[in-house]
Amino acid sequence: MPSMKHEDSGRSYWRSLEELADTPEFKTFMHREFPAGASELMEEDRRSFLKIMGASMALAGVGLAGCRRWPEQMVLPYAERPEGSAPGMADAYATIMELGGVATGTLATSYNGRPTKLEGNPDHPGSLGATTRYTQASILDLYDPDRSREPRIAREEKRTKATWDEWSSFSVDHFDALRSSGGAGFWILSEATRSPSIEAQQAELRSQFPKATWVAWEPLANTNEAEGLTEAFGIRVRPVHDLSKAELIVSFESDLLNIHPDVLNLSRDWAAGRRPDHGSMNRMLVVESSMSVTGSKADDRWAMASSRIPALVAQVASLILNDASLLPMPSSPAYAGTIADQLKAAAGKGAILAGPSQPAFVHRLVAMMNDALGNAGTTVSYIRENAESIRTASIKDLAAGMDAGGVETLLMLGGNPAYDAPADLQFAKGLSKVKVSIHLADQDNETSQLCTWHLNRSHPLECWGDARGWDGTYSVQQPLILPLFDGRSPVELLAQINASSSPAGFDLVRKSFNKVNGSGGLGESFDPAWRRTLHAGVLTGSTSATESLKTRGGGLENGARAAAAAFDGKGGGLELSFVAGSSVYDGRFANNGWLQELPDPITRLTWDNAVLIGPSTAKDLGVGTGDMVKVTAGGASVEAAVLVQTGTAPGTATLTLGYGRRFAGRICTGSGFDFYPLRRSDAMWFQEGASITPTGGSYQLGTVQDHFAIDSVGGKGTAARLPVLFREASIETYNHDPNFVRAGDHGAHGLSLWQAQQFDGAQYRWGMSIDLNACSGCSACVVACQAENNIPIVGKDQVLRGREMHWLRIDRYYRFQETSPGQYDTDQPLSVANQPLTCQHCENAPCEQVCPVAATVHSSDGLNVMVYNRCVGTRYCSNNCPYKVRRFNYFDYFRRDPMRETGLLQVQPDYYVKLQSGGDPLRRMQFNPEVTVRMRGVMEKCTFCTQRIEAAKIKTKNEWVKKPEAEKAAAKRIVIPDGTITPACAQACPNDVIVFGDLMDPDSRVSKLHANSRSYELLGELHVKPRNRYLARLTNSIQGELFPQDHSGGHGTSTDEHEESHG
Amino acid sequence: MGRFQYTFPRWTNLILPMVLIVGMTAPLYVAFMVAWGFSPATTDVGYMPSQPVPFSHRLHAGELGIDCRYCHNTVEYAAVAAIPPTATCMNCHTQIHPESEQLAPLHESYQTGMPMQWIKVHDMPDYAFFNHSAHVTRGVSCVECHGRIDTMETVYQHERLSMGWCLECHRDPAPHVRNPDLVTQLEWGWDMGAAERLAEGAHWLSSNHLNPSQDCSTCHR
Repeated sequence: MPSMKHEDSGRSYWRSLEELADTPEFKTFMHREFPAGASELMEEDRRSFLKIMGASMALAGVGLAGCRRWPEQMVLPYAERPEGSAPGMADAYATIMELGGVATGTLATSYNGRPTKLEGNPDHPGSLGATTRYTQASILDLYDPDRSREPRIAREEKRTKATWDEWSSFSVDHFDALRSSGGAGFWILSEATRSPSIEAQQAELRSQFPKATWVAWEPLANTNEAEGLTEAFGIRVRPVHDLSKAELIVSFESDLLNIHPDVLNLSRDWAAGRRPDHGSMNRMLVVESSMSVTGSKADDRWAMASSRIPALVAQVASLILNDASLLPMPSSPAYAGTIADQLKAAAGKGAILAGPSQPAFVHRLVAMMNDALGNAGTTVSYIRENAESIRTASIKDLAAGMDAGGVETLLMLGGNPAYDAPADLQFAKGLSKVKVSIHLADQDNETSQLCTWHLNRSHPLECWGDARGWDGTYSVQQPLILPLFDGRSPVELLAQINASSSPAGFDLVRKSFNKVNGSGGLGESFDPAWRRTLHAGVLTGSTSATESLKTRGGGLENGARAAAAAFDGKGGGLELSFVAGSSVYDGRFANNGWLQELPDPITRLTWDNAVLIGPSTAKDLGVGTGDMVKVTAGGASVEAAVLVQTGTAPGTATLTLGYGRRFAGRICTGSGFDFYPLRRSDAMWFQEGASITPTGGSYQLGTVQDHFAIDSVGGKGTAARLPVLFREASIETYNHDPNFVRAGDHGAHGLSLWQAQQFDGAQYRWGMSIDLNACSGCSACVVACQAENNIPIVGKDQVLRGREMHWLRIDRYYRFQETSPGQYDTDQPLSVANQPLTCQHCENAPCEQVCPVAATVHSSDGLNVMVYNRCVGTRYCSNNCPYKVRRFNYFDYFRRDPMRETGLLQVQPDYYVKLQSGGDPLRRMQFNPEVTVRMRGVMEKCTFCTQRIEAAKIKTKNEWVKKPEAEKAAAKRIVIPDGTITPACAQACPNDVIVFGDLMDPDSRVSKLHANSRSYELLGELHVKPRNRYLARLTNSIQGELFPQDHSGGHGTSTDEHEESHG
Repeated sequence: MGRFQYTFPRWTNLILPMVLIVGMTAPLYVAFMVAWGFSPATTDVGYMPSQPVPFSHRLHAGELGIDCRYCHNTVEYAAVAAIPPTATCMNCHTQIHPESEQLAPLHESYQTGMPMQWIKVHDMPDYAFFNHSAHVTRGVSCVECHGRIDTMETVYQHERLSMGWCLECHRDPAPHVRNPDLVTQLEWGWDMGAAERLAEGAHWLSSNHLNPSQDCSTCHR
């Protein structure tokens, strides 16, 4: 097993492979604080500097000459104010976001008709108050300056702007003609949807165009699961999991904590099983080809090429099922028996899941095993899929039809097949043979540019709609704002094509609601059920009934034979495996700046994807991180950069989809590499026989994994700090010694360098608790924080300089097994640690001591507050922060094109605000009006969402004043009930990792968590008294305690002695 | 040739001390002028823009005695004391002076649904987050910040509304607090003695547990 040598023996945690290898880049980064070139203020030449200086002097003159009170401002009240609304007061409306045919309930925050934020809907079973990072970020899509603003038409060679009137006059004639021919050659390609309104339109289409064919296309759809379950049960079903009842979770390449249609519930239930205070905890076993979020949280993880997993599953199944048709596997790894034993031991309380990459055969075996073990009915149940109301086909059939010239009219409702369809289908080429192609899309993207018609689509917050959740719950999508660019929704477009008498979205949705609810007609002016559904966001009782089904046996020979053949690896060469981009999904979020800049939970890569290869495979290939390579498979090749990623199965390369968009969006252009050309319809998820050859070029990858490393003194000592930062042990160690976290404590210096902060007379003591055991690292909190607090994106160039602005970052550390002294096995990490890190709100905050202008000071409630209008930008505070959580605005990021290469003076405000020049105010509309938009030269950091704290304080106290005198006289202080204040990060989190509250109240959740035996202070030895505490992570490995040396001694010793105790 | 010798007249001896005196006083003068000229007391207090409709608070709030909250009805629960919608004006003005020239913009707004364009008088900096409800519900009267609006024909800015001015009250709230039920009675307390007024304020401070915050985050977020 290849390993890396490091002089520092006995260490266990590493920030990155670069740190372990001690590369020159890492050293430079640590020592200079910012990468090379970062300290040069201006990259422009002297000429342009003088030019701008001259201009600003002139401006200053104008400004002084016009010396007067600041500009006159208008107050524009409503002519008639809507009932119940007040200027500047936020309202919340229940609506949904549909992704991949699954609706998740949301509550949209709206300031006087301007939606600014999406939160989870606590009443929706698919959300229960939590959100994914995609939901959080989709508010930015509404205000994307690159949104398509009008229809476009291709006339001969040129594409020109068109109007909806032109479309209407064209479409009436066109579809009338098509109707008279029965819809021959009429195909519809749509994103997956479970909208009853769309289903109603499908039925209508079928009656008007009987020959029309419907194709649902999602590049990341788990079609293998649907197929496998149909084989297993004989009917089309979908699985609904309840992992809260699972003591054992086995995942065969299912990224259930990160990319799954029902991810919020799966994640929440997994986390619910990780509260060890009653002495036990669930166990998760993962087999996968590349390190996923789920794999990083596994108690035991085995890396295995995707193509070999079916044989493993078959072997496990043969030990569990008594099915004669399941041929014995000639060879499979020894841990098949371990997994089978574990599953048998947890019969009835286990859950097995398989990912989309696994063939239908695996999904069938999984269903059979869940059935045989008695898991079905407890941890997994099945709901029936609705029958299609229209003739359907696959995208392969469509491509074949297009190629044969049989497709006359192709209507595409969303999607982007010219970019993401399997390469062998040659979709773009086929599209050119279609007479009339129509694409409804939110951007004028790759597919739109090849179509006769591009129609601009309305954002889900702009139009009426409806959809079902993963468990079948019906919800209505209500608009919060009129379409900004007069777009239309898919259901409206279909209704128009169907020549519906009332093509307005509201009427269509109202009708399908009545059908779903079984209530009266449209004529009813007031329907309580409708109003209730709109208000709550769900139709009560609409959840699909679970079916008790039995799997069918037999007929497994072919699958088993194929699995055995694949295991022996006749394909040769490297194996490519395709995974969804954690940030951009299948590419649809590629133009979303928040998501592009969101570091991948595992690789910590921003703005790019890469070819992920394991260390030993990379060594064999002679490539390293940042090298350009040519990936060749099945006759196609793509040039891309390599990122060496621990945890990748040997002989495989993982390709993240969704990047390298060719559509000229200001965010996505130039970010990453497009791997779709390598994806074939017969090898959608993995492909053997690939080759990777270095091209000799290199590429700069914007990884943030080595940024903001917590050090001891001046860039040194990061190694010594890591084991005390992240504390973990096995559940056995914890049960034996519940106070094991104290082993990591060093004696805090009782003496303070400065006067301790006094909190006499404080009314509240705000504090936070972060449970490392329940955090999956999914990063929804990071995007939520960005949306709530008007945090800018900075662009890849600035990220490379270590200037990303996220107030909340999730540090990721690896632990490697030491094979011999100083030698570490880097191929497979022993564990992966995620640690969300925000401002710790130290009571003795070091940042406050060094600010020369008192711009960062303490509030009486214990918040370390940042006063932007005082800050002069010395950055001393950032320098003195032991946690490295302060962020500096090197530029006016909101007035700066985030994709621009370099420079201070060539400010191009076209993407963002363009405030002075009267430009596009679109991006500005998303800003949270309760939070200051910071400007250049100002330090900022986590505020514990002080705007939410103040709002809750004001509201509580306003009501308190009205209480009876006697009650007021008896009260000691005005208590804000626990749970009233939820910071944005905590609100987004499905796993309840982050808990915020008042430490002055001994019964508050946060007080109890601070008293928990797993609770520890980060860098408590500095005596900074952080208000934020962490709950240590516990592992539940089959092997028991993985890190026994961590918990032997080291009490109250200094850092150096502690380090020695490891050796 | 005799040497030509020029002697400075005697008065030139004064130049040096004069230069020194002016040189020493000028910076003081400039500093004073800047401090005075840029102070909100100079730039803001008394600011009285003319509004599209010459609405008289003296008439409506003073003579007619309409309560502040009839129009500014969000003041008790929202951050802003909303400028009333046109519809509120029209509650009366469909009957009273419906033909008045001066009310033409009002009628136009009502008919077209376009907002009235009032000019903002009390303009806070964008980084300061003031909340009306937090003050009004706890017994800080409108008059404390806005002055005797009920006597103003045209509204003007009465106070500095600077941070120092805010803090004066947050540090010593007793003279500015009253019974929360009386906040819109702007003339209340004029006949009280200073000690009596202070005692009244102190009573409401303690009974309502008022504890005005001086933390930065109270107003700056």
